Amino acid sequence: MEEVKAYIESGILELYVLGQLSATECNEVEAMAAKHPEVKAEITAIELAMEAYAFENAIKPSANIEAKILAEIGVEQQDNDPKIVPLYQQANDSKIRALRFALVACVALLVVSVAALYSVYNKLTIANDQITTLSSNNEQFARTVNKLEFDNSGLQNRVDMTETDEWTTVKLAGVAASPDAKMLVYWNKTNKNILINHAAMDLPKTDKTHEYQLWALVDGKPVSLGVFGENTKEAVQQMVTIQKAQAFAVTIEPVGGSVNPTMEKMVVMGGVSI
Amino acid sequence: MCIFVNLATTKKISLSEDELVNALKSQDTVAIKALYDMYSGALLGVISRIVLQTEVAEDLLQETFLKIWNSAGSYDPSKGRLFTWMMNIARNLSIDKLRSKDFKNANKNQDIENNVSFIDEQKKVSFNADTLGLKELVTKLKPDFKDVLDMVYFKGYTHVEAAEELNLPLGTVKTRVRMAILELRKKFN
Repeated sequence: MEEVKAYIESGILELYVLGQLSATECNEVEAMAAKHPEVKAEITAIELAMEAYAFENAIKPSANIEAKILAEIGVEQQDNDPKIVPLYQQANDSKIRALRFALVACVALLVVSVAALYSVYNKLTIANDQITTLSSNNEQFARTVNKLEFDNSGLQNRVDMTETDEWTTVKLAGVAASPDAKMLVYWNKTNKNILINHAAMDLPKTDKTHEYQLWALVDGKPVSLGVFGENTKEAVQQMVTIQKAQAFAVTIEPVGGSVNPTMEKMVVMGGVSI
Repeated sequence: MCIFVNLATTKKISLSEDELVNALKSQDTVAIKALYDMYSGALLGVISRIVLQTEVAEDLLQETFLKIWNSAGSYDPSKGRLFTWMMNIARNLSIDKLRSKDFKNANKNQDIENNVSFIDEQKKVSFNADTLGLKELVTKLKPDFKDVLDMVYFKGYTHVEAAEELNLPLGTVKTRVRMAILELRKKFN
């Protein structure tokens, strides 16, 4: 027994476990272990300590090592596709992870942006339509207001003319070619001003190249009192002053007027009854 | 006989030691997968103590597994535990590598002695926290024991070389190795 104890304490068993012995010494240790259970138990205890020590100091191998080993001994792995393993895998992994997050964030941002843009675009289209409608309404109102103002000032003028003694109203009636035509000419008795009222006339339509020309017949001769168009802003228009006249007439003349009236184009005429 | 299954990497294949040995001897490929899952980390830890370059250490890990596979027939369970056998394959391959001509050429200006101090410096960087804890444990041993265990276990010296290097009788080296391992056993067993 003492012999066994001394054998154990010599340290040869540790060297045996550490693979430090020659073949002869190994055989000797193995023979002792077979003969003495306590030697065998001691060897196992040393082995377990070294084993636990190795596990405590384990280092995880790179992911591709197992596949290489299995390939070398000819074992096909299910997912044995050749992989490119980056040299600094962990560093790349974290970079890739960060980039992946960034990509997801970018895509999310893009989706949100596109949605916002689409919504804004829709609202803009609606707003544009509303602006178009409103501005067309506005134009229509403006036209209506202009027409009303025009009519109103014409009517006001007619009322004024009937309430004063200063003005003579000359009624011009349609001629044979235009029996329905009519208009009024106001002639101031004192200063001889001539006014016409667009709101109180009904003349045949002209085209773009023609307009109306007002004439006074003075001792049998026509005197031009100026031209006027079909559409005017002011309802009341002042014409050329004339000292005396026996009649007034309107002809249709080329734009800008004529020196002599075109008699066949006369539309209304009226004599002065003062 | 149950082995340190749970200490090995994570999930994966684990077999009892008897099943594993039978599978290995009958060249069943499940054995190599199980061995890898259970022991690759521990073996790489052993190899990395001797050879520091990660790539070289992983190459040696591959060689170790090939040798385990190819020499399965020579393993005799009655002579020792499976891990002890595998660990010694890994250590022998690593020490051979460390002493090989091409490795020395690749690490010019570093003979074994220089390598020792080189290894010491590198270890501080490459050891993980757990390992640091253990290094501490070994450091706590009496310096005399520590030197011997360092040389024999960490640095790949034979006990004969260690005796020469430390200028000690072989018997003293043996005793010191034993004392150092007894300290480890107190910690683990």
